[in-house]
Amino acid sequence: MLEDIARMSGTRLGPGTLYGAIARLEREKLIEPLPAEERRQPYRLTSAGRRVLRAKLATLYGFARAGLRKLEA
Amino acid sequence: MNARLVRQLTRLYPPEWRARYGDEFQELLEIHSSARRAVLSVVGWAIYERALWLSGLSMDSRQKSLAFTLYASLAVLAAGMNFYWTVEDTPLAAAMRAHSTLSATWNLVRLGALLALIALTLVAVPLFLTIMRTAAARPKWNVILRLAVPPCAVLIVLIWLVGATKLSGAHWVPTPWDVAGDWTAPAAWPSLPTRVVLSCVTFLLLIIGLVVSAISVRQVIAQSDLSGIKGVWFVAPSLLFATSVVVMSIGVSAWGWFVQQYAAYDFHTRNGGLFTSTNFTSWAASCLVYLLATATAVQSARSALHGTGSSADD
Repeated sequence: MLEDIARMSGTRLGPGTLYGAIARLEREKLIEPLPAEERRQPYRLTSAGRRVLRAKLATLYGFARAGLRKLEA
Repeated sequence: MNARLVRQLTRLYPPEWRARYGDEFQELLEIHSSARRAVLSVVGWAIYERALWLSGLSMDSRQKSLAFTLYASLAVLAAGMNFYWTVEDTPLAAAMRAHSTLSATWNLVRLGALLALIALTLVAVPLFLTIMRTAAARPKWNVILRLAVPPCAVLIVLIWLVGATKLSGAHWVPTPWDVAGDWTAPAAWPSLPTRVVLSCVTFLLLIIGLVVSAISVRQVIAQSDLSGIKGVWFVAPSLLFATSVVVMSIGVSAWGWFVQQYAAYDFHTRNGGLFTSTNFTSWAASCLVYLLATATAVQSARSALHGTGSSADD
């Protein structure tokens, strides 16, 4: 998971930061664990998590589009 | 990281966090290089999780609702005991028999207490079954031992009351409501200093019992997975419980107002108040605790409603 995040965001999280985020997201019922795969512990989005992520990404998308429009104007 | 460092770093986290994430977190740390940045990240987040654990913020909405219900019910128990013993066996009890309005407000408190008992039973049965099922599936002696704390606290107080009564001549029960006042103590009772010391011990045992019970049951709630219980088992009892505490608070407040009208003299004498205070002061203390319990019970209902609204599986 750390590798995936580093590839996507260009930032490498510390193990404490990663599990701080996992614990918070699970507490808020935005993710849930799947059965462990050897040494990997996968998680997936819940329906509430999917809704929240979609809303956050839509906000970011709108923010990025507005920023680009300003730059190009 | 080496296994010893991994174990030490994981131990920094609170027990509930370790029970949930400990194994997978250790797996992750074992394959991680022991760079100073990684260790600092673990230590920093362990402090954060400890702070959350202590504040109760790490609980989900259902757990918070139950914890608030627990605090409110213990507060109601303390306030109710004080209110009952302030009135019991005093001229105020006679005033209640003479004035139906006064006895109606007393009955309102009793009705509230009955509703609270029904609400607590409704929430306790599925909760207790879930906790015991979890404890049986994965033997958790710490859960069973923590659940044993409240009955043990009651037992200790009872043993103390019986033992102290017998030791002091079997004529006086060492309750903090029967120490001294505007009356003459019977000759068979122990001396005033002895009564003060013994009743202080009873009071301390009651307070310690309530606090320790609250802490131990709260820890059990925080460790319990309540997702298998339907939302209605949290919402309906918490709403009923909040209503019952409001009814009790109204009853106690109205009782004070009416007793001031009908038996003002007895209300302001010292014949049943906590630690030789006047009955009015003792009643005011009960009122204050009932109001705090009302705010906590309302918070419990809000958490239960929030839990139903945000839960993915409801």
